[in-house]
Amino acid sequence: MNEAVMLNSNLNGNIEDIKRRMGGSDDLVIRPFRMGKSARREVAICYIDGLTEEKSIFQFIMEPVMARGRSPGGADPEEEGLLEEIKDSVLSVGQLKELERLDAAVEAMMNGSVIFLVDGYRRGFEISMAGWEHRAVTEPSNQTVIRGPKEAFTENIRVNSALIRRIVKNPSLQLQNRTVGRSTKTNVSVMYIRGLADEQAVEEVNRRLSAIDTDAILESGYIEEFIQDEPYSLYPTIQNTERPDTVAAALLEGRVALLIDGTPHVLMVPALFVQFFQAAEDYYQRADISTLIRVLRYFGLFIASLGPGLYIAITTYHQEMLPTQLLISLAAQREGVPFPAFIEALIMEATYEVLREAGIRMPRAVGQAVSIVGTLVIGQAAVEAGIISASMIIVVSITAISSYVIPEFDMSIAVRITRFLFMGLAAAFGLFGIFVGINALLLHLSSLRSFGVPYMAPVGPFVVSDQKDVILRVPHSRMKTRPRFFGSRNLIRQGKKPKNPAGKGS
Amino acid sequence: MLIVPIFTGCWDRRELNELGISMAMGIDKAGDEYRVSIQVVQPGAVAQKTGGGIESTPVSLFESKGVTIFEALRRMTNTSPRKIYSAHLRFVVFGEEMAREGIGDTLDLLSRDNEFRKDFYLLVAKGTTAASLLSILTPLEKIPANKIYRSIDMSEKSWAPTTAVTLDDFIEDMASKGKQPVLGVIEVLGDGQQGNSPKSVQRVRPSVQIRTAGLAAFRDDKLIGWLNEEESIGYNFILNKIKSMVDHVACPAGGNVALETTHSKAEIKGRVAEGRARLKIKLNVEQNVGEVQCRLDLTQPDSLDELERLSQKSLEELVYRTLEKVQTEYKADIFGFGSAIHRSAPKSWRTVMNDWEENFEHAQVDVDATVRIKRNGTITNPITEEKGET
Repeated sequence: MNEAVMLNSNLNGNIEDIKRRMGGSDDLVIRPFRMGKSARREVAICYIDGLTEEKSIFQFIMEPVMARGRSPGGADPEEEGLLEEIKDSVLSVGQLKELERLDAAVEAMMNGSVIFLVDGYRRGFEISMAGWEHRAVTEPSNQTVIRGPKEAFTENIRVNSALIRRIVKNPSLQLQNRTVGRSTKTNVSVMYIRGLADEQAVEEVNRRLSAIDTDAILESGYIEEFIQDEPYSLYPTIQNTERPDTVAAALLEGRVALLIDGTPHVLMVPALFVQFFQAAEDYYQRADISTLIRVLRYFGLFIASLGPGLYIAITTYHQEMLPTQLLISLAAQREGVPFPAFIEALIMEATYEVLREAGIRMPRAVGQAVSIVGTLVIGQAAVEAGIISASMIIVVSITAISSYVIPEFDMSIAVRITRFLFMGLAAAFGLFGIFVGINALLLHLSSLRSFGVPYMAPVGPFVVSDQKDVILRVPHSRMKTRPRFFGSRNLIRQGKKPKNPAGKGS
Repeated sequence: MLIVPIFTGCWDRRELNELGISMAMGIDKAGDEYRVSIQVVQPGAVAQKTGGGIESTPVSLFESKGVTIFEALRRMTNTSPRKIYSAHLRFVVFGEEMAREGIGDTLDLLSRDNEFRKDFYLLVAKGTTAASLLSILTPLEKIPANKIYRSIDMSEKSWAPTTAVTLDDFIEDMASKGKQPVLGVIEVLGDGQQGNSPKSVQRVRPSVQIRTAGLAAFRDDKLIGWLNEEESIGYNFILNKIKSMVDHVACPAGGNVALETTHSKAEIKGRVAEGRARLKIKLNVEQNVGEVQCRLDLTQPDSLDELERLSQKSLEELVYRTLEKVQTEYKADIFGFGSAIHRSAPKSWRTVMNDWEENFEHAQVDVDATVRIKRNGTITNPITEEKGET
């Protein structure tokens, strides 16, 4: 990589160097031609086939250069001002940079730029003409809403940053580009709002990004695993979303967003436990409904993590806790079931997980078949055959459904894994085990930090003013301050609520 | 930390289908031993969705004998395939013979063992053994123990001829100097032998039925006599345990009026005067007119006043009759008059405390009832009356 890094003044030499760099790859297009009507000066453009908009190259580079370029020849190969003249009055393009280094030229081509070289000069131009096929902006497939914007990010980082900027038209919205990954040279943009985001957090993000030394960044998950605080915790400390409005809201709370080229998922840091229970729609629906749904989600969290565990513990250790009638009907269902409750639960949970995984991985065309087999065979037949008790099916299904009321997938995965831990504890120690487990879990969660912010904030440490957006979702007119924990210096979100929005009376 | 799970033996683990859920326990005396019978639920038969196959009885009875109850319970595993699980016990019933000999010794296990909750009722089986009572099937409620439990609950709430006594209540009264315990009573109607087959329940009028039958008066832990329905109501009036009750008074013009008691408050004041215990029971009762079977103009305040007076009188007589029976016949202070004197006149209590039994017999009790009739239902005058007017 070190030899011949600078361009030299011989055009053919440069072309040879570039070819050699690319290893004679066939998608490298090199087009030498002559400049101006007199056509004495040799020039060349190089680009990678498929990464550029070829029409624009012909229209805005080749045509003007051929038609209007002044072409003094021979005697003074390095005529002063010729390049400047081309730049200033010939090339009708927007993004243009001068370059002197060969490796920079190659890298620019990889990003869809056209390299313009002139014979006799040690410098050239890098003209951005990137234009490749990419997916259009579509509806989000995972984080859907009933009310609210229906745009989702795409795989193109510039489209994504534009989507965000279209929502937040604040000039303080900063975007810093960098590339990560030695081979992939993936573009990563760090976005934040200056004055709202904690400068230290931004610095920390940049520091962690710089520390990544890897071959490939293919998706946001790579970055997440490299920069998260506690790689071995089950619980996510970085949030991701495919919704531009969610990112905009995060930026306005003083958080930092990480856009990664090639994926529609944008990372947001710091991420707190409670934020994984806030869906975008909470803020678009009425406050009272949203509050109710928040309560429902925490209830869902409770069931999803403890459901089968509690069932096992109560039916195998603490039968006295059940009302007599319930106990008798549960006992009746268990008549003839060959396995202990724990094994029964494990079988059903494992079956469910297999069904779920199969549902995601399998070709769409066979999806129907699996769901029919899953519900009919596993559900009904297992009960009728007396292998599994009906109540266990109920418990497992409710648990499975409950885990999906958690809006963030990362969190619901974590909850699913904890469920198995609790089942084990329940089978071995009963309710005692479950409560010890809950304590251990709370200790663990409280010990986590996400980019310097306590993970359980604002519950522990408790901040009264931030309770407005934890279980409650107070009306927007009451959300006067931004969350405290993101180090924002500008806490005030809005002015006073208009006393009488209807404008009647006084 | 990682080793901990390996060393757990799951020692307390019981699958639901390894449990014999016992709903009722009966204790009888058999010579020097106790005969313990347990009514165990057959979950399959109780929670049966559709009929079909051989119908088994919803409960089975297991019996065993032992010098102590604990032994007898454990010996039961000889006959029962499952471990007896007693946390859902509804009541413990004592045979009459057993109750007359004294039940105090049996209560220790019931309060000592951690598997027993302390909220089950204690009952006495009148004229029969506990075992034969527990082997009777009942209609409506598949589990006989539940049926008895509900009967006691319901009749305590709406009719008041019985009272639900839990283990703790009984022990407290037994230990108290100024009060003797009572227990609820159940008896068998019909030929008990037929009751243990589902055939009995398959008839519209079951050949055998179990019903509650007043109260049993105890002196310490020994049964000394029964209170019939009326006396039990009187007992409940004095002890302030009336939740709802229906009584009738005779109209001046012939016929009867049924009155529903909705609220009753009794205050007992006790003192010792001239060496004799004197008690004053003040009853404050609210009633509704429930049924009128005589010519009575309820729109007139006078007739309501008259009704109140009549009701007052009948109530006082009821209480006096109860008192007389208990004072002269059983001579056991089941009303807690001793405690009442202790509360209102602690010093004089000491003078009568030691031979309280005799003092109780000769105690002078005044009853003063105040009845107020509040409502008279959705119609005012009896139907016959209205017809006469138009």
